[in-house]
Amino acid sequence: MLKDIPVLSLIALIPLAGAVLLLFLPGRRSTWPRGVALAFTAIPLILSAWLFAGYEPILGGKAFAEHFTWLSIPLNAEAWGPDAAVASYRLVFDYRLGIDGISLPLVLLTGVVSLMAAIASVHIRKRWKTYYALFLLLQTGMYGVFLARDLTLFFIFFELTLIPMFFLIGIWGYFGREKAANRFLLYNGLGSAFMLFAFLILIATLGFSAEAATAGGNAFSFTGDYEVLLAHLSDPNAPANIAQPGNAMYLSDSLKWTAFVLLLIAFGIKLPIFPFHTWMLKVHTEAPPSVVMIHSGILLKMGVYGLIRFGAFLLPEQLDAWAPVLATLGVINILYGAVLACAQKEFKLVLAYSSISHMGIVLLGIASLNEIGLQGAIYQAVSHGLISALLFLVVGTLYERTGTTKLDELGGLARSVPFTAGILLTAGLASLGLPGLSGFVGEFLAFLGLFGSMKALTAVGALGVLLAAVYVLRSVLGITFGPMPERFIGMKDARFVEALPMVALAAVILVLGVYPSLLTDLMQHGFDGLLKQLSTKAGG
Amino acid sequence: MATVFSPYAWLVPAFPFVAFAVLTAFGRSLSRTGAWLATAGTFLSLVLSLVIAIERMTGAAEDYRGGYEWLRIGDFSLPFGFEVTNLAALMLVVVTLVAFLVNLYSLGYMKGDDRISVFFAYVSLFTFSMLGLVLADNLLLLYIFWELVGVCSFLLVGFWYQKPEAKAAAKKAFIVTRIGDIGLLIAILLLFWYMPDHALDFVSLHNVFDPQNGGTISLGITTLIALLIFLGAAGKSGQFPLHVWLPDAMEGPTPISALIHAATMVAAGVFLVVRTFDVFEASQAAMDTVAIIGAFTAIFAATIGLAQNDIKRVLAYSTVSQLGYMMLALGVGSVPGAMFHLFTHAFFKALLFLGAGSVIHAVHTQDIREMGGLGRRMKITAWTFGIGALSLSGIPPLAGFWSKDAILAAALADRPWLFVVGAIAAFFTALYMSRLFFLVFFGKPRGEHGAQAKESPGVMTFPLLVLAALAVVAGFANTPWNGWLGQWLTGNAEADHASALAIVVSVAVGLLGFYIGWLVYVKGAVRRDVLSSRLPGVVRLLERKYYIDELYAWLFVRPLRALGDALTAFDTHVVDGAVRLVGAAANGIGKLNTRLQNGQLQTYGLAGLLALVVLVVAIAGRRFW
Amino acid sequence: MSMLASYLTLAAVLFCIGFYGVLTKRNAIIVLLSIELMLNAVNLNLVAFSKYGVNPALTGQIFSLFTMTVAAAEAAVGIAVLIVLYRSKATVNADEFDELRR
Repeated sequence: MLKDIPVLSLIALIPLAGAVLLLFLPGRRSTWPRGVALAFTAIPLILSAWLFAGYEPILGGKAFAEHFTWLSIPLNAEAWGPDAAVASYRLVFDYRLGIDGISLPLVLLTGVVSLMAAIASVHIRKRWKTYYALFLLLQTGMYGVFLARDLTLFFIFFELTLIPMFFLIGIWGYFGREKAANRFLLYNGLGSAFMLFAFLILIATLGFSAEAATAGGNAFSFTGDYEVLLAHLSDPNAPANIAQPGNAMYLSDSLKWTAFVLLLIAFGIKLPIFPFHTWMLKVHTEAPPSVVMIHSGILLKMGVYGLIRFGAFLLPEQLDAWAPVLATLGVINILYGAVLACAQKEFKLVLAYSSISHMGIVLLGIASLNEIGLQGAIYQAVSHGLISALLFLVVGTLYERTGTTKLDELGGLARSVPFTAGILLTAGLASLGLPGLSGFVGEFLAFLGLFGSMKALTAVGALGVLLAAVYVLRSVLGITFGPMPERFIGMKDARFVEALPMVALAAVILVLGVYPSLLTDLMQHGFDGLLKQLSTKAGG
Repeated sequence: MATVFSPYAWLVPAFPFVAFAVLTAFGRSLSRTGAWLATAGTFLSLVLSLVIAIERMTGAAEDYRGGYEWLRIGDFSLPFGFEVTNLAALMLVVVTLVAFLVNLYSLGYMKGDDRISVFFAYVSLFTFSMLGLVLADNLLLLYIFWELVGVCSFLLVGFWYQKPEAKAAAKKAFIVTRIGDIGLLIAILLLFWYMPDHALDFVSLHNVFDPQNGGTISLGITTLIALLIFLGAAGKSGQFPLHVWLPDAMEGPTPISALIHAATMVAAGVFLVVRTFDVFEASQAAMDTVAIIGAFTAIFAATIGLAQNDIKRVLAYSTVSQLGYMMLALGVGSVPGAMFHLFTHAFFKALLFLGAGSVIHAVHTQDIREMGGLGRRMKITAWTFGIGALSLSGIPPLAGFWSKDAILAAALADRPWLFVVGAIAAFFTALYMSRLFFLVFFGKPRGEHGAQAKESPGVMTFPLLVLAALAVVAGFANTPWNGWLGQWLTGNAEADHASALAIVVSVAVGLLGFYIGWLVYVKGAVRRDVLSSRLPGVVRLLERKYYIDELYAWLFVRPLRALGDALTAFDTHVVDGAVRLVGAAANGIGKLNTRLQNGQLQTYGLAGLLALVVLVVAIAGRRFW
Repeated sequence: MSMLASYLTLAAVLFCIGFYGVLTKRNAIIVLLSIELMLNAVNLNLVAFSKYGVNPALTGQIFSLFTMTVAAAEAAVGIAVLIVLYRSKATVNADEFDELRR
């Protein structure tokens, strides 16, 4: 049954349908928009859970794939090249969705975090209809990014996340919201420009293929279809691999490097890699907590995903050659983020810098270029998504009550809000990589993977684990322990709608920490293609 | 004979875990029922542990292993399992016994605390983790439980979270032990990549590092691995230079100090070294390091213990010192000596802490200068505490004597100068214990509560009596004439280190130390301030614990803070500044252009003319290039 | 050949005077007059080339007639615009007319 319905399209487009539906509903009170948004957020999660149950790792991206030609634009027909026969060119946009061991965990993450963020949106106080419509639109973009198997489609979904996010930050954020929204849009728009350029290079070379000759002469097409690109990459007869004077479609090394560096910058901004991280500090501090849950929980992971999906799979040699650079960047991220997190006086900034630090671990995993490390990178991405979502959920809950997130104004909250404080402590412990919670598994796998090739660098990176303990304990204990200021007496603990997502996220974090096979089994064959290619390159 | 009970060993940690889960879920509504529930869970664990240990003592000595696959990536798989050996069985008994008694004791000690269910939940979680650590069959699983016991320790040290000292101590405990944990983590990474088949289980470790299969892993790497493991052990067991957290951890409730920071968790470092002893044996440099650090810690902490005035801190430094003894034993190659001392130390140190808790419960202070004369009012506490103190000081025939003697004998046989260090430390031990004991229980009451002090309730004194009995008899498990425990643990009859010299010296220093203490603090034959008036510098140095905390603050904490502030400035001004500069540049260019767009056609015309001139000059000028 | 050069020189001088006037004069009417000067300079060029050029032909003179017509129309429209502007702003100062900026 699962095979018969276009389940991937449904996952991606149901939130969009919800957004459209919202436009026709009354928006005076929050009831209707909220109900619709919850429903249309829950359905994709259920579908992805279904996907999770029916997924067979051995099939890789083949299962559930959907593909049809979306647009086919005829380009000029002319006599080109030495054979001088009439040749017609077409630019093909494919609609191709697919899922494999790399994207499925992230789709699940999107589902879980989105639903929790939707529930946690009770703190939104104005313009509910617009808020939830944008929220749903954002989800379509996120699901699309993880499901798309076509460069153009990926780019469209990637851009689709920017616009709702811009408004979500700019309208419902805190005091500096407009500035933060502007910076977010400009910075990410710049990244998208780099990405588009890199994609165009790939489409114009790897995406070029000859179709069956027809009566009208030879027919050629350019496509961004990911499967076609992958096939051409390993095909010695593909035009992109033939170094011949006059072959405009040859993907030379310099072009590959250009594309790789462009992609690295594009996804590095999203990830974010030092020194492209300053935009996300503003977003972390100014956006409403439910939006930061999405942002820190999912949007940053699009950078991880893009880097692996396109950087690693399409340009493996470049990644291989630059693995030490990536690992160094990762270590810089880890230590830089951690040291800065130790010095912040604002809890949200501590969390923002800790995100930078944790994303460094993801980079280490990618740089390892072996199965352990790559799985660790994905695992760390998922786990950090859950943990940071939980942390920001707590931040939002506390801010509602105390009106501040400054560390020196908070204290002793374990007494007035013991439940929330307990969850905060749990999330903090998960964040510093306590075994038994999900943070440890990702960290450990990433370190383990990289240690095989770069021992000293890994050991230096492991210092980040120590610093994580320092900044997490400093801030979390600063908030919950110690004497309680008098003005916090009589504060109410988390309400049911606030406690529900907290418990759910904490439970997922715990389950993933105790039984990591749940996710790693999914990823079992996810990296086979990449690793095979690397080993043949190394052998040949 | 096949083992019957060993396959059920996983149930031992399961009971406390169930108690923890129930208490966490329904804690607030259970309160005292929950506390009893946790105690009952630990009791079941104790019974099962005893059954397993007795079964193993009476013959069925084959090791049992069981488990499941935790994580599989490609060709690698990380299995999780438990392993029941004689060593594990011994540890199970020690842990469950002390945990049970401490649970019982806490029923009285924590009575009236409105977070009593939370307390028992944490203790249950700790018991679970510690038992898991003991049973773990591979290094990664051990590491996981290792971290969990660390976090429980952290939670319990910070149990009275409103006290700023408790908060600071909890933070310090976690971070300092984390330094060691990173060493252990890197050791695991190294082992993973160097071991054949990426195996991490202890059986493979044993096989690979067995001298008969020597050379699988180079000596340099072996030494590195051993030292990194030892770093982890040093963090947990409070060895110099990572000992600083343990005395501060006394901010936790006293039963916790007895359970975690005296008997079980801090001994986990010793246990880890024993578990991976093959790695250490393969590298002489690592053994030397362990022995020297252990000996140094033993004497170093003992001297600090001489000058402390907080009853729990004296005991804490004593724990550090005794753990140093255990490491010393390992460093000179005596696993039975170390385990034997761990075994006896667990009883008499838990006894001392619980006794101290009983005293604190009665007089509401921890400063020994405000106590005194409690012997008459708290008979049971005084007697049991006295037994513990004598045992720790190594007075025959109490347990501490036998185990300390075993270590000293092993040291004498291996490296005599370490024996001298150990003997001096033993003298200091006896001295500070007698000082503590006589100051607290003899003389006249000095504090305001001292005169009204009452003996603690039965639920608290019962554990004291049990532990006191054990502190008397536990030593006979392994005497120089009958090395039963060592034989049972290692499986082969240990070369007997028994030497008359060691026995004589260790008895002599113990008695001498106690006698001097008696002279000074009871008889008054020597004035108390004789040292502090003659050598104020030395006393001050000891009181301030050799200024180690201050040194670390200078060396690590401040530079980190400064680096953090510097990097914050760098981040906001340089990195973000660059971003703002790009923005400002775009803005500036825009501004410049708006100035040109002044709406004056004549200006536009002029600009056009100038552009034309430039173009003409450029094109014409190219000819002369 | 020298005849052509002197015509062209005169035209260039006229053009420069006109262009200078266009760029510098504040009074819009003078600006219009200066434009006329520039146009006449062009006319002079056209006529000179049609007589002394490489291929002498009538086309140049026809062009100059055409230019004069357009110039007349342009002057008429220009003056009309100026009058409208004068009505609304009560000035013919070119500096005041910066509506393009807004």
